[in-house]
Amino acid sequence: MTTEEIRAPASHATMADLRVPRERESTLGQRIYRYRFVYLMLVPTFALLLTFNYYPAFMGLYRAFFQWDIGLQPEFLGLGNFEKLFIRDDVFIKSLRHVSLLTSWRVISAVTFPFIVAELIFNLRSHVHKYTYRVLTILPAVVPGIVNLLLWQFIYDGTHGLLNAFLESVGLGDWQQPWLGSPKTALYAVTFMGFPWVGGVTVLIYLAGLQGISDEVIDSSLVDGCSGLRRLFAIDIPLILGQFKLIIVLAVIGGLQGWVAVFVMTAGGPGTASMVPGLWMYNNAFLWNKMGYASAIGMFLFVLIMGLTILNVKFVKTGEY
Amino acid sequence: MTVLEGQPQPIQRMTMGDSWRRAWRTGDWWRHLGLLGFLFFMFLPFIITIIISFKDIPQFDHFPFTVTFPLHPENYSDAWRIVSRYIYNSIIASGASVAGMVVLAAIAAWAFARYPFPGREIFFFGVLALLMVPGELTLIPAFLLVKDLGLLNTRWVLIAPYIASGQVFAIFILRQFFEALPGEMFEAARIDGATELQVFRHIGIPLSQSILGVVAIMHVLSTWNDVIWPLVTLRSDELMTLTIGLYAFRTAWYTIWGPLMAGYVIASIPLIILFAFTSRLFVEGLSSGAIKM
Repeated sequence: MTTEEIRAPASHATMADLRVPRERESTLGQRIYRYRFVYLMLVPTFALLLTFNYYPAFMGLYRAFFQWDIGLQPEFLGLGNFEKLFIRDDVFIKSLRHVSLLTSWRVISAVTFPFIVAELIFNLRSHVHKYTYRVLTILPAVVPGIVNLLLWQFIYDGTHGLLNAFLESVGLGDWQQPWLGSPKTALYAVTFMGFPWVGGVTVLIYLAGLQGISDEVIDSSLVDGCSGLRRLFAIDIPLILGQFKLIIVLAVIGGLQGWVAVFVMTAGGPGTASMVPGLWMYNNAFLWNKMGYASAIGMFLFVLIMGLTILNVKFVKTGEY
Repeated sequence: MTVLEGQPQPIQRMTMGDSWRRAWRTGDWWRHLGLLGFLFFMFLPFIITIIISFKDIPQFDHFPFTVTFPLHPENYSDAWRIVSRYIYNSIIASGASVAGMVVLAAIAAWAFARYPFPGREIFFFGVLALLMVPGELTLIPAFLLVKDLGLLNTRWVLIAPYIASGQVFAIFILRQFFEALPGEMFEAARIDGATELQVFRHIGIPLSQSILGVVAIMHVLSTWNDVIWPLVTLRSDELMTLTIGLYAFRTAWYTIWGPLMAGYVIASIPLIILFAFTSRLFVEGLSSGAIKM
C-alpha cells in the first residue's frame, strides 16, 4: 500500500481546502501554527503508539544483535544470534519445515472450502436463505478461539476423544492413536484441525466480492450460454482475485504467526515434534530468558512475513475491480 | 390482517415455507444440501460440547456422545463459580480498551481525514507502517517495557497496549470513511457558527455510528481472543482473562469433562450475546467492499 492510494479518496473539499489561496502565502510555520489544535488531537494517539508499538519494535530489531539474558548486561554479538539460529539450531530448522506445512495447508484450505461455501450461498435464489446461511456460517467464528482449540484437543484425545470413537464405530479401531501425543501424528493433527476448514469471516469476504460483480456481467454471461463451472472459472474467480489475494496474504501471515494453536494443543511436543518458530521464540524468551536470541527469531519472522506479503501483493496481479 | 376490498393489496411477503418450496422447484436443493453438510460439521463440535456439558463422570464413561438422563445442570453452576471471574476480567479488559481505542482513533482519524495540516501524510504513514509489524517482533521488548513500568500483573497491562495497538487498524478504516463523508454538510454547519468540535461531535460522529460499531466489534473480538499477551503479563488468578483462565481450568479439571465443557459453553456466551445484538454490523463490516487489496 502506498500513500498515493491512501490519499486517493480525499476528493471532497473541506473548508480548509477552500482557503488554499491564502494558505500559499503563509509560511510553513504559520500553517503549523494554524493547525495547532490538529496536532493536539494526535498527541494521545502518538504518545501511545510511540510507547507501546514503536519503542518495542525498534528495541526488538536492535536487541536481535545482542546476547541479552535477563539480569545480565546485554552484550553485542553482531550477527552471532542469526549464525547460531541457522547453523547450530536444529530445532529451529525443523520448526521451519513444520511451519511451511502448516502455512501451506492454511493457504490451500482458505482458497478452497470457504470459496465453495460462498459460491453455494451466492447462487441461492432466496434472499432470506442467503441471509440465514450467512449468519449461520459466521456464528462459529464468535466462539472464542481458545474454546475451539480446547475442543479440538478433546476431539484428538487418546482415551476419550471423538475422533477415536468415530474410528472405532466405523471399524477402523486399529487406527486409534493419541493423536497429539504421538510424535508421528502430532504435527499433522495440529495442521489439519478445524475440519471442515470453513472460516466464516473468509466466506463473508468472498461473498462481498461476488456481490460486487455487476449483474450485467452475470446476465450477459448467461445469455451467452456460460453457466455452472464455466462461469465459475471464467467470471467469478477472475473478478474476485482481489479477495483471493487478501485471503492468501491473511492465511500466510496467520500461518506464520499461528503458533498459539500449537502452544495450546501440544506445546510443541511431544519433544519438539510439532515445534514452530513462534513457539521456539516464546520458549527461548519466557522459559530460558534468552531475550536476545528470541528477538533474533522475532526479527526473522518479521522479515519473512514482510517479504512474503510484498511478493504476494506484487506478483498476484489484480486489475481495477 | 384484514384486507379491505377495492384497496391495493400489500405485496405478499414470502413466508419461510413458500421460499423453501420455491427452492425445491428451482433446483437450489443441492446447494442447500451442500451448505447443510458443511454447517453440520462446523457445528458438530459445539453440539457435542453441549451434550457432554450435562453429563456426570459415569455417564461420560459409558455413553460419551449421546444425550443421557438425568441431565446434570449443576455442572454449569460448578463451572460458573470458576469461569465467572475470568469473564468479568475479560469484559473489563475488552470494554475499557474498546472505549479508549474508539475515542482516540476517531479523533486521530478525523484529524487525518479533514485537515490538510503540514506533515499529514508522514504522520499517517507512521500509523500505517505499524500494520506490517507482527506481534512476534514486539512481544519481548513490550514485555520488558511493561515490566520496567511496573505494570505487570495489573489491569493496565492489558488495557493500555490494547488501546495503542487497536488504534492502528481503526484509524486506517475510519479515515477512509470520514473522507468519503460529504464535505458540504460540515461547511454548512461551520457557516451556521458551529465550532470544529461541534461539527465533529454533532455531525461527524452520528453519521459514522455504524463504522464505529464495526471497528469496535472487531477490536472486542481480537482482544477477547488474545492468549499470549495476558499469558506472559498476568500471574495472579484474580486478574486472568477468559482465554488463559480456561487454559488453566482445563489443566486443573482434566478428565472431569462435564463441568469443563459447561465452562466452555459459558465462555462462549458473552460474544454470542454481543453477536445477537450486532449481527448486522458484523456482517456489514466484514462484507463491506472496503476489505480487499
